[in-house]
Amino acid sequence: MNMVEIKDLYANIGDKKILKGLNLELQEGKVHVIMGPNGAGKSTLSKAIVGHYDIEIENGSIVYKGEDITELEPEERALKGIFLSFQNPVEVPGVSNAYFLRTAVNAKRKYEGKEELNAAEFLRKAKETANFLGMKPELLNRSLNEGFSGGEKKRNETLQMLLLEPDFIILDEIDSGLDIDALRAVSEGINKLKDGKRTFLVITHYSRILDYIKPDVVHVLKDGKIVKTAGSELVEVLEKEGYAALGES
Amino acid sequence: MQESIKDMATSLDLKLPTKKTESYRYFDIESLLDKSYKTVQKQKQDIKDSKILKIVDGVVVEAPKNIVVSYKKERFVSSKHFDELYRFSHKINDEIIHIDIQNDTDLKILHRFEAKESFLTYRIQIDVKENTTAKIYETFIGCEAKGSFVLYGYDLIAGRYANVEIVKDETIVKDTYTPIHSNFIEAKESSNVKLFSFDYGDADGLVLVDSYIEKDANIDAKHLLYVMGKAKRGTVSRLHHTEKNSKSNQVAKSILQDSSRGIFDATIKIDATAPGSKAHQNSKAVLLNDGAYMASKPQLVINIDDVEASHGSTIGELDETQLFYLRSRGINEDEARKMLILAFANEIIDDMSENEVVNAVHNSFEKVYYGKGQLECIATCHFCEDVIL
Ligand SMILES: Nc1ncnc2c1ncn2[C@@H]1O[C@H](COP(=O)(O)OP(=O)(O)OP(=O)(O)O)[C@@H](O)[C@H]1O
Ligand SMILES: [Mg+2]
Repeated sequence: MNMVEIKDLYANIGDKKILKGLNLELQEGKVHVIMGPNGAGKSTLSKAIVGHYDIEIENGSIVYKGEDITELEPEERALKGIFLSFQNPVEVPGVSNAYFLRTAVNAKRKYEGKEELNAAEFLRKAKETANFLGMKPELLNRSLNEGFSGGEKKRNETLQMLLLEPDFIILDEIDSGLDIDALRAVSEGINKLKDGKRTFLVITHYSRILDYIKPDVVHVLKDGKIVKTAGSELVEVLEKEGYAALGES
Repeated sequence: MQESIKDMATSLDLKLPTKKTESYRYFDIESLLDKSYKTVQKQKQDIKDSKILKIVDGVVVEAPKNIVVSYKKERFVSSKHFDELYRFSHKINDEIIHIDIQNDTDLKILHRFEAKESFLTYRIQIDVKENTTAKIYETFIGCEAKGSFVLYGYDLIAGRYANVEIVKDETIVKDTYTPIHSNFIEAKESSNVKLFSFDYGDADGLVLVDSYIEKDANIDAKHLLYVMGKAKRGTVSRLHHTEKNSKSNQVAKSILQDSSRGIFDATIKIDATAPGSKAHQNSKAVLLNDGAYMASKPQLVINIDDVEASHGSTIGELDETQLFYLRSRGINEDEARKMLILAFANEIIDDMSENEVVNAVHNSFEKVYYGKGQLECIATCHFCEDVIL
């Protein structure tokens, strides 16, 4: 069963046409990987899915769990279970990381009709999860992402993912800038959420993370379109031969 | 009894500010002075013992036992205050309320305005003895005082080596009273004065502060403005370094919504007699929508070389990428905006030393934020009293 169906998607940033008739189906419970050259439109696709204000959808649809979400507010998409780990997470000085995380977790709990967590309950859970990711607990007390190193930011994205327990998880280069231990910790975090129901869309340039998270389907995005879809064996081919091997399609 | 403010001024041989008066250039003072008001006769009362100092229409009704409060004719008056209404308020009030702080004190002052369509004026003088610590928090309730003009102010004299923290928390709601606060602070040798002002709401009001900073003394002034609707609101100030090695640090943060106008017209003056002084001044404003306007005029007037001084001013909007990031985690837009506004404001709020006061100011902020300018005045009132009592 497909959790996500993207049909004939045309999307622009300003005057620039980026996605040019993109089609993509993501199956429930599977790990999909998108690879593709720099500037192909991978981040644009992920931002289009979460409703980023930069992206203007000119045509096409994004259907998630049977509902076209292209008109929904970003927070509505999030509450319905869509999560994007950003390629470049933004720094928010003055907003404490812990307070932000709790607000987000409680917004989701409230939406799901669950009781909100009080500060102590939340903190216990957040510390436990941070510890699992090998994150320094002090990062919870600091301002959200402010002055975090590249790797710390990625771990913090993973922490949010683990606390929010989303159904559709997009990871935009979660592996870039991670040291070996961080890559393992983040991958373990991802694997922890794999339950045969959640769908993952992993955007990456490297096969290394795929040693930890086994992909089911691999897509190549080039010049605003999905130009190839295959099994995990495609990764090796691309690593050896590059995107030129795909020729023009 | 009805008497025009202009007639009162004429009979006292005093000038009133006009449109052209520098310190009122962003505030429509003339229309406030032109209206006619009832004058209120102050009836002194027996002062009840209480946890707070409560002043109703300029009359002290309650006071804590441990502070000395009295009415006095003789008083401190600064002869050089830049504001004409400062002098006027001194002249028109035969007596002032004198607060004599002899020991370390935590004082909460509730100003309550009840008379409608009236000219309410009074002044207090706060003397903080040398080597003494005073924490003073003042807040204002004036829902009933529809159409009244409040001309109030304090003269604060911080004795040598005194430590004073004075916080003003004032939410004003449209169609109630309009205040002009005209204050003077004298920071004597080696004293340390921290001034905080929290000006919230959708109605007009202006604070004018002048000061003297003497040898080795310090004034920290932090101003948080959060206004909406058609409010014209803000601070006109002069931090005046008169003696050597005096210090000042002034930070204004302003959040402006709807078609409100924020005012931060602030001068730091360093006299030739004040070598070795340090002065820093900064103003940051966030405009939440088109139509909001910030008049930010930080100025340094320096008459000597051997000083360290800086100033800056920025005006911007809420950061869209930050807002989106919060929303992408399921936090609704209203809440996300509040988080960012508070992040901007917290630098000032959290700088206060008393937790109770930090909470009170946070609560005032929340109230205003969720009231969105259509504030329930009575609710605000109850709230204020709850907090302070
Ligand atoms: N805000 C913007 N304004 C103008 N052009 C933009 C903007 N954001 C992205 N682009 C352009 O859109 C194109 C696609 O960018 P996108 O970030 O989606 O690429 P990507 O596939 O994620 O690349 P990478 O692998 O380098 O992360 C690029 O040419 C980029 O320069
Ligand atoms: Mg990218």
